[in-house]
Amino acid sequence: MMTPSSESGDYKRDEVIAGEYVLGVLALEDRRKVEARMAIDTNFAAIVHRWEDNLSGFNDAYEDIAPPTRVFPAIEQRIYPPTAAESLDVAASGGFWNSLLFWRSLAFASVLVAVGAGFVGSGLLTPRPSGKPIVAELTSKENAISLLARYDNRTGRLKVTPIAARQQEPKSLELWLIEGDEAPQSLGLLPQGGEGEIRVSPDMQAKFSAGAVLAVSLEPFGGAPNGVATGPIVVSGTARGF
Amino acid sequence: MTNDDIASLIGRVSLRDRSAFSALYTNTSAKLYGICVRILKDRGEAEEALQEVYIKVWRRAERYVEGQTSAMAWLAAIARNHAIDVIRARKPASSDIDAAFDIADPAPGPERSALMQGEGRRIDACMEQLEAERASAVRKAYVDGESYQDLAELYGVPLNTMRTWLRRSLLKLRECMDNDDSE
Repeated sequence: MMTPSSESGDYKRDEVIAGEYVLGVLALEDRRKVEARMAIDTNFAAIVHRWEDNLSGFNDAYEDIAPPTRVFPAIEQRIYPPTAAESLDVAASGGFWNSLLFWRSLAFASVLVAVGAGFVGSGLLTPRPSGKPIVAELTSKENAISLLARYDNRTGRLKVTPIAARQQEPKSLELWLIEGDEAPQSLGLLPQGGEGEIRVSPDMQAKFSAGAVLAVSLEPFGGAPNGVATGPIVVSGTARGF
Repeated sequence: MTNDDIASLIGRVSLRDRSAFSALYTNTSAKLYGICVRILKDRGEAEEALQEVYIKVWRRAERYVEGQTSAMAWLAAIARNHAIDVIRARKPASSDIDAAFDIADPAPGPERSALMQGEGRRIDACMEQLEAERASAVRKAYVDGESYQDLAELYGVPLNTMRTWLRRSLLKLRECMDNDDSE
C-alpha cells in the first residue's frame, strides 16, 4: 500500500540502512533484519543492490590471492553428492535426474508413496467400481515441483508425473532444450493432468543429442509468454547417450 | 575474463553446468579469496569461508539478474556478506539500527525508482567531496568490514560520532551520485 506522499525522511532512512548494510557496519541481527526486509520489499532490495553496485569500485582494494588447491575439490564434494552420481551411472539415463532438488523430492515422494501404500492396505483407497482413477498430489513446502500420482485400479498402474506445485497463482512447468550458448527452446509444457507425454516437434527432434541441456522452469500458467523462459529453473541436466 | 563472460558462466551454473562452475571458480576464486582473507585476517578461516561462498554461488546462481549488478560485483557481494557475517558472529557488535531506525516496517517511500540508471558518476569522484577522514572511514568500513565500534576506536571518536559520520557520508554520496544520474 502506498501512502500518497511520504516524507523524504523515510527514503533517506532506507538509503542509510541499505548503505550501512552494504558497507558492512551493522550488527549480525540487523543484517538479518535487512535481508528479511529485502525478501518482502523489492524496492528496498533494489536500493541495496544499487549500493552494492555503487560501492563495488572499492573492490579494487582487494588483492587477488590464489586459494590452496584443496579448496575446490572440497567444494565439489559438498555440492555433488557421490551417491547421486553413482546411481546416475547405474541408471545411465541422463543428467535430468541429477539434481539435488529432484533427489530431495524423490526421497520425500517415496515417503508419501509409502504412506499411500499404507492407505491402500487399510482400505482408504479401496478400488471403486466406477473405475475412475485416484489422484494424489505429493508436495513439500520447499519445492516448486509436486508429483501427481494417478492410480488406475483397472490396470493396477500408478503413474507419477511432475507438475507445478500449487502456488498463489496457477503455474505451469515448461521443458526447455538448451544447446550450447543458445537461448532455451521450448519443448512444451509438462502435462498438468498427471498423464500424457510431450511430443517433440520434428524440427526439435533433430536437436536432441548428447550434450544438450534439458531444463524445467516454472512459468505463468499456460507457458512462457512469447516462448522466452521467464521463470526460475527448477531442475536441469545434460543429456547423455545411453 | 570480462564481466559478460562471468555473467554467462553464472547463467550456465544456474542450469547446473559443472564445467561452467569449475571455470567460474578458476576465474574468480583469487579475487573472492582475497576478500575473505582481508576481512577475516586469517587464512584458515578464509579458506572455510571461500567454500561456503562458492556453495552459495552454486545455489543462488539462478537469482543473479544481469543488469541489476555486474557479475563480479554480485560475486564480491556474496563473499563480503559471508565474511562480514563470520566476523560479526565472532565479535558481536551492538545493534545499531534500533537506536535510530525501525527497519522492520517498510517505509512506503516516494516512487523514486532505485533502478540502475546507468553507472552514474564513479564512486571515487563523490568520495572526494567528503572530508578526508570521513571518506577514509567509509572506505575502511567497506574494505576491511569494520564495525562502528572498531571504527570509533580506530579514529578515536565516540561511537555516536562515528555513526553520524558514516550516515551523513552515505547520504552525501547518494546525493552526489543521483545528481550525476540526472545530468
